[in-house]
Amino acid sequence: MPNDRRASWQSASPYLDTALDLPPAERAVWLAGIRAHTPELADQIAHWLAECEALEAGDFLEGAAALEPARSALAGLQLGAYRLTEPIGHGGMGSVWLAERTDGRYEGRVAVKLLSAALVGRAGEERFAREGRILAKLAHPQIAHLVDAGVSPIGQPYLVLEYVEGQTIVAHCDAARLGLTERVRLFLDVLAPVAHAHANLVVHRDLKPSNVMVTPSGQVKLLDFGIARLLEPEAGPQTLPPLTRDGDALLTLAYAAPEQVSRGNVTAATDTYALGVLLYVLLTGQHPAGEAGESPATLIKALVETEPRRASEAVDDARSRRRLRGDLDTIVAKALKKDPAERYASVSALAEDLRRHLRHEPISARPDTVAYRTATFMRRHPWPVAAAIVSVAMLSVGLFVTDRQRRISERRFQQLRQLSGQAFALDARLNYVPGTTQAREVLVAASLQYLEGLSAAAQSDSDLAYEVADGYLSMARIQGVPTGPTLGHFDQAEASLLKAHTLIEMLLAARPRDLRALMLSVDIRHDRMIVADSVHRVADAIVHATGAAARIEQVVNDDRATLEQRQFVIARYTNVALANVNLRRYNEAVRLARRQADLARSIGVGPSDLSGSLSVLANALRLQGDLDGALEAIRESRAYADQTSNTDAGLMMQRYGPLLREGFILGEDRSVSLERPIEAIVPLREAFELVEGGARRDPGDYTSRSRVGTVGRELGDILRWSDPRAALAIYDVALGRLGEIENNVRARRDSALILAGSAYALRRLDRVAEAKQRIEKALAMLTDTKDYPVQTMAFDDAAFSVLLARADQLADEGHPAPAIAAYRTLLTQVSQTKSDFDHDLRDANSLSLLYEGLARLCRGSGDAGEAGALDAKRLALWRHWDRTLPNNPFVQRRLASLQP
Amino acid sequence: MPPPSDATLALLFSSLEEGDATAGSALFAALYSELHRIATRELARNGWGVSLGATSLLHEAYFDLSKRAGTSFPDRNRFMGYAARVMRGLIVDYARNRQAVKRGGQFELTALSTDALNVAAAVESDELVRISQAIDDLSDMEPVLAEVVDLKYFCGFSFEEIAAMKGLSDRTVRRYWVKARAYLHASLRATLPSL
Repeated sequence: MPNDRRASWQSASPYLDTALDLPPAERAVWLAGIRAHTPELADQIAHWLAECEALEAGDFLEGAAALEPARSALAGLQLGAYRLTEPIGHGGMGSVWLAERTDGRYEGRVAVKLLSAALVGRAGEERFAREGRILAKLAHPQIAHLVDAGVSPIGQPYLVLEYVEGQTIVAHCDAARLGLTERVRLFLDVLAPVAHAHANLVVHRDLKPSNVMVTPSGQVKLLDFGIARLLEPEAGPQTLPPLTRDGDALLTLAYAAPEQVSRGNVTAATDTYALGVLLYVLLTGQHPAGEAGESPATLIKALVETEPRRASEAVDDARSRRRLRGDLDTIVAKALKKDPAERYASVSALAEDLRRHLRHEPISARPDTVAYRTATFMRRHPWPVAAAIVSVAMLSVGLFVTDRQRRISERRFQQLRQLSGQAFALDARLNYVPGTTQAREVLVAASLQYLEGLSAAAQSDSDLAYEVADGYLSMARIQGVPTGPTLGHFDQAEASLLKAHTLIEMLLAARPRDLRALMLSVDIRHDRMIVADSVHRVADAIVHATGAAARIEQVVNDDRATLEQRQFVIARYTNVALANVNLRRYNEAVRLARRQADLARSIGVGPSDLSGSLSVLANALRLQGDLDGALEAIRESRAYADQTSNTDAGLMMQRYGPLLREGFILGEDRSVSLERPIEAIVPLREAFELVEGGARRDPGDYTSRSRVGTVGRELGDILRWSDPRAALAIYDVALGRLGEIENNVRARRDSALILAGSAYALRRLDRVAEAKQRIEKALAMLTDTKDYPVQTMAFDDAAFSVLLARADQLADEGHPAPAIAAYRTLLTQVSQTKSDFDHDLRDANSLSLLYEGLARLCRGSGDAGEAGALDAKRLALWRHWDRTLPNNPFVQRRLASLQP
Repeated sequence: MPPPSDATLALLFSSLEEGDATAGSALFAALYSELHRIATRELARNGWGVSLGATSLLHEAYFDLSKRAGTSFPDRNRFMGYAARVMRGLIVDYARNRQAVKRGGQFELTALSTDALNVAAAVESDELVRISQAIDDLSDMEPVLAEVVDLKYFCGFSFEEIAAMKGLSDRTVRRYWVKARAYLHASLRATLPSL
């Protein structure tokens, strides 16, 4: 055998290189060419090619090996009053050990759950603490209780839990050779502790055989509330907050409910589903998904799409089949409904039906008729995950035959339109589902294969060209146009966009005024601009930005364009202007933003859109150095925002952006502003009240929480110099709100900035030690988010502000030498980034502030020569800017402060 | 085996590059003992419960060795080429050792999977042994494919890094990986029906 394999490999291997380099759609044709001459060789190649393709979806040899000390090295470790004796389990979160009490007070064995060292200091700790809190809340004889908790000598948190001796419920049933009725009775024992947890608003979320143990005395015990979650009583069923990847990934897919995979609401019904799977397994010995349950990809598909086989159909012997047919089939099916609302309303209701069944009374659940099953299948279409994959697969079949048959192409357009729509909707749903990246990659690959097949025909068929271009555009947005969540493949996104671009530009060459093509061209160029900007291909980004603007103008000036079409393309100007800001082309950004605002006013858009346009304009003007113009634009923007309804809380939020920006323009601390901080306080305070009100009203409103952080920081930064006490109060509110956002890197970054900013206020209140602590805490947070330590940094990196705060702290504490050293390091580090002191006013101003601070320190420690040299550098910098922006008030103020 | 002297290692590298085939197995043994020594040191330094990535181990080893051996030492890319096969041996042995000596064994292997769904996926040592044998089999026919697997799976390098190391295009490395995986998977399936 091995020799056959080697021989087959050696003959096919060189051809595989060619085949794998071909787009998947072309491989069949290529292979057919080989088959015509050497059919045996073609078979070998096809065999290996299939092997390659099959492995794409799996995880064979994914990941990498690592060495780690054996868990047995932990044996004998003393944790509090317990000594670890032997490992009894291991999971993604860490390991579970059997341990004995050693303080002599009493004999006892416990289970110690140790958080994996790799998760220490991250979300893992919080999850661990949550498990502890939840267990402390639940006291039930059938739930393994919490005995103690602590932290190991090297900082690993651990939980000490009741040690449950026994077997998993499935092993127990098999070992005791329990019959169906006995299994149902035992299963009823599982329901009692689950119902108790639900009564305490705890959802277990990970019910599976290994977490349901049966002790030697026959008692059922529930284990592992590691990913359990508290439901909010007032909020009712809740949508999952953005959970950490490593968090939810820990749930066991085989027992996960559809809503856990598709990120719907997790409620008590989620546990009901898992219990349904458990009951199915207990009754039939099989998983409801059958063989599909064997790989993550097929399981997800089965989970959301396929109705499970009836329990009675999953068993072989006729007696069991008869026994399951009827009530038990119906009960299991009701627990396993895809739609949580169709499952049993509570675990108790499920228990009640099982008891009725045992008493031979009629049960409450109704069996599904065939018609009903079909109807629910169709109704479930909002779960497009697998549906779309299946339709993609069906579309790909027979591609080469149907391509030449013009007759059925009409139908294909329909399918294609559906496909891009579905793929997109599907992707939005899959996006935050851990582990579905592969499914999405497969989806994209299949869709591209289909589009590729149609491309040739599309060149001579304009109707098809629109559709194919649109399809490529949709794919690109999944692959990597970062206006939304993507797979992160910028190069692939650009390849798709280029294909769309070529098709549409060819069409436009023949029909320059084709409105539909022009509209598509706006989007294609817009997206290419964003991709180019994202990968810092500056020249390309400029070309696409210019091209997009030209196409927008063509649509706007076309009298056949409808109002909606015009509004649509005008909205695209926002990103074109922003891209020019990113490219530091501030004059062009101002021109485009102004054009957008003018167009918006003249063709009539809603006040909220107009407000947005003016806000973009204000931002561009500010960066260009025209602060007065910026203030005028932002006040106009705010006036339009005020015209939007004042009653609707959501619309009121329209005012937040203009208010914040007005505050920045008037007096952003240490930045390019009109330097009227007292006036800035007014809009900033209003913005603060607005978002803080939003955060107070809705505990799930993370946007408002994050905004409290942003505006609170700015307000505090301004107030700290004049009113440190008030500043501190604001900072602390902002920190509190940011702290309510779980596991979000940005929130932690913002928290670090606030901690560092508040250190200045604390020092002014003579609370020097606290100030120091806050700075250290800020650095620790940035270490966590991997923002520190770094080799180089830009002025707007969080690490820069925090390190500057630390340098200032050193100086204030009377350590000028290390403070000067720290300033010098910062100077070097910012000079190594893309900071552009000669073309970016903000960068110039930040650099000037660094020079100024450093000069002050040098002068203070008696080095007047160095201080003078730094002042000279500063003067040269602003003289350069005086030539760039003649008579600019901001530049003039800088120069005035430097003149002796 | 005592740690090889630095001069010996450098000499072995140059003999091998000058075509002395017998230097190969001596170099393997020398590098093996060196990687083992550094792994033991690093694991002891990091304390228990901390895993040690093969990549960082290799970089550490290169740093140590090149610092001591001076200019005659091969550059990083060439070094990694030699060390990758050794790394596989080391990892397989650790896994075997764990299996054999339940309590005395010092290290064990876990797969640090990139797929969030498989965080807990651990590779069994006998499976690892079979993978290693299949790689040797493949190496017989197409050594470059085997080396890509060693670098990717056993040393934890990314496709981009491997491409840079081998002077190949990213696309070629990925294709080699796809091919190698197919061959290994087929070999493993043949030796183990349940896979």
